Amino acid sequence: MSADSAQIYPLRSNGAAKPKIVANGIQKYFGGVLAMENISCTIHEREFVAIIGPSGCGKSTFLYLIAGFEKPTYGELSINGHPIQGPGRDRGVVFQEFVLFPWLTVLRNITLGLDIKGVNRREAEEKARKWIRLTGLSGFEDAYPSTLSGGMKQRVAIARALTYDPEVLLLDEPFGALDVQTKNYMIRDLQNLWLEANRTIVMITHSVSEAVLMADRVLVLSSRPSRVIADVSIRLPHPRDQRDPVLRRYEDEVTAVLSAEVDKAMNQERQTHRPYSSPGQAQ
Amino acid sequence: MSTETVDAAIVRPPLAQLGSSRAAILALRLGSIIVPLLLWELGARLGWINTFLFPPPSKILATLWSQSGPNGNPPWAIPIHVGRSLIRLLAGVALAVVIGTIAGVVIGLNRWARAILRPIISALMPVPTLAWTPVLLLVMGIDDRTTIFVVFLAAVFEMIYTIVAGIEMMNVKLFWVAESMGATRLQIFVRVIIPAIFPYLITGMRLGTGYAWRALIAAEMLAASSFGLGFMIYDASEYMNMDVIYGGVMLIAVLGFLLENVLIGRLESATTEKWGVQNER
Repeated sequence: MSADSAQIYPLRSNGAAKPKIVANGIQKYFGGVLAMENISCTIHEREFVAIIGPSGCGKSTFLYLIAGFEKPTYGELSINGHPIQGPGRDRGVVFQEFVLFPWLTVLRNITLGLDIKGVNRREAEEKARKWIRLTGLSGFEDAYPSTLSGGMKQRVAIARALTYDPEVLLLDEPFGALDVQTKNYMIRDLQNLWLEANRTIVMITHSVSEAVLMADRVLVLSSRPSRVIADVSIRLPHPRDQRDPVLRRYEDEVTAVLSAEVDKAMNQERQTHRPYSSPGQAQ
Repeated sequence: MSTETVDAAIVRPPLAQLGSSRAAILALRLGSIIVPLLLWELGARLGWINTFLFPPPSKILATLWSQSGPNGNPPWAIPIHVGRSLIRLLAGVALAVVIGTIAGVVIGLNRWARAILRPIISALMPVPTLAWTPVLLLVMGIDDRTTIFVVFLAAVFEMIYTIVAGIEMMNVKLFWVAESMGATRLQIFVRVIIPAIFPYLITGMRLGTGYAWRALIAAEMLAASSFGLGFMIYDASEYMNMDVIYGGVMLIAVLGFLLENVLIGRLESATTEKWGVQNER
C-alpha cells in the first residue's frame, strides 16, 4: 500500500459529512529544522481519525497545531471553515501524561471547564456526573489525583475533556502511559464511550491495533519531515472485536506501510548520526 | 520522619532495634534538648560554672515568668515584646509573600520583565539586610515601618527566587489545558499558576521566614525605640541582666520553631500534603 492507493472515505456518516478540520499544505519548522513537510488532510464531522507514524515524526506536533498550542510555519489549518488562531473551547485535549490539576479533586478537575465558563456549581456537577459514570469513576469524586492509578487518571482526563462539551476531542497517545493490561481494558471499556460522545475525534497513537480497533480512518505519517503517506478507512461497525479477521487484515495493511517507513527512518537516523557524512548521503 | 527511621535502619543495622520504636526516637529528640539544660542547671547549682555569666535555667524561666505578669518591668513585658516582634515579622513576611509572588510570577513568565529585573535583584540580593538599616532609619525614623521593611527585605528575595524556580518547573501543558477551556489570564493566574507553585511558595515562606526572623531581631537591636525581643535583649545587655538575655534567646528559639513547624506546617498539611504534591526540600 502506497500513498497512491490511499483512499479517503468519511465513515460513521452516509457520505454527507461536513469537513470539520481542514489542513492544507502544513509545514512546520523548529528552528531551522523542517519537521513537517506537507500535511494536507480533511477530517470530517463525527469522524474518529487515528494518526500513526514512526516515533519522532511529529504526530503530536500536528495535534498541537490543531489544538492551537503551536502555529504552523506555512499552510492553512481551519476548523468549521475558520482559521485556527489559538486554543479554544471547541477543542478538548487529552494528554498522554494526563496533566491533571493535582490541587483539585477528581470532581473539580472534571468540572473545571464549566467552572471557568461560570456555569453554576450544581449544573456543572450534574454534567460531570454523566461522564464520571460513563468513565467508571463513580466513588472517586472526592479523591485527589495523586491517589489514583494511571488508568484512573486517564479516565479523569477523558471525562474532563468531555464534560465541557467540545466539538472536537484531541487525544495525544491517550493510552501510551498505561501498562498493557490497563490499556487493553480501557480501550475495550471506552469503545462505547466514543459512540456515546458522538464527536469528531483525532487520536495520536503508535499502536496499529489500537488505531484500527477504534478509528474510522487511519492516517499514516512518514518519518520526519512528515507527510501523509497512507489514508486507510476501516469499514467495520463499532464496537469491534479485536479477533475479527477483517480487522486483522486492516491491521496488517497499516503495519506494512508503517514498518517500511520505520525501516527508512532508522536507516536515515543511522546515516545522519554517522560522523563525517554529509546530509545528502542520508537520502 | 518515617523515612529517617528506615534510612537509619538500613545504614546502621545495630541502631535498627533502637530506631524501630517511635517512642525511642521521640525520647532522643526531647533528651537532646532537656539533658544539656539539666547539666547546665546542675553545673550552676553545684558552682561548676559562673552563675553570673550562665545563670541556671530555672532562674531564667523564673525571670521570664515574673516578667510575663503584671509585676514585670514594664508590666506584662514579655507578652508585649513577643507580640510586637510577631506583628512586625508577620507584616513584613506577608508583604514579602505578596510582592515576592507577584514579582516572581512576572519574572518567570515574561522575558522582558526578566531582562529588566533579574540584574537588579541579583545585585541587591547579596547585600546583607542590615546594611540597609541606617538608610531606612534616616528615611523612616525609629519606627515599626523600619523594622517591617527590614523583615520584608530579608524575606522577599528568597520568595522571588523560589517562585521563579516554581514557574520554571511548571508543566506548560497545565496552561494548555486551561487555555483550551477558554480560561482568561486572570483565571489562569488564580486557578492554575498560584496552586501550581504552592509547594514552592511554602518553601519560599519557610526559608524567607527564617531569614526574616534573624533580620528582625537584629533590626530591633538597632532600630526599635521600645519593645520587641531584639530590643529586650539589647536593653538587658546595657544593664547586664543576663536572665533576660538568655530568656530572650530562648523565646526566639521557641517562637522560630513554632512559626516553622506549626504555622507553615499547618499550611502545608492543609494544601500540598493533602494534594500529594509536596516536593523536594
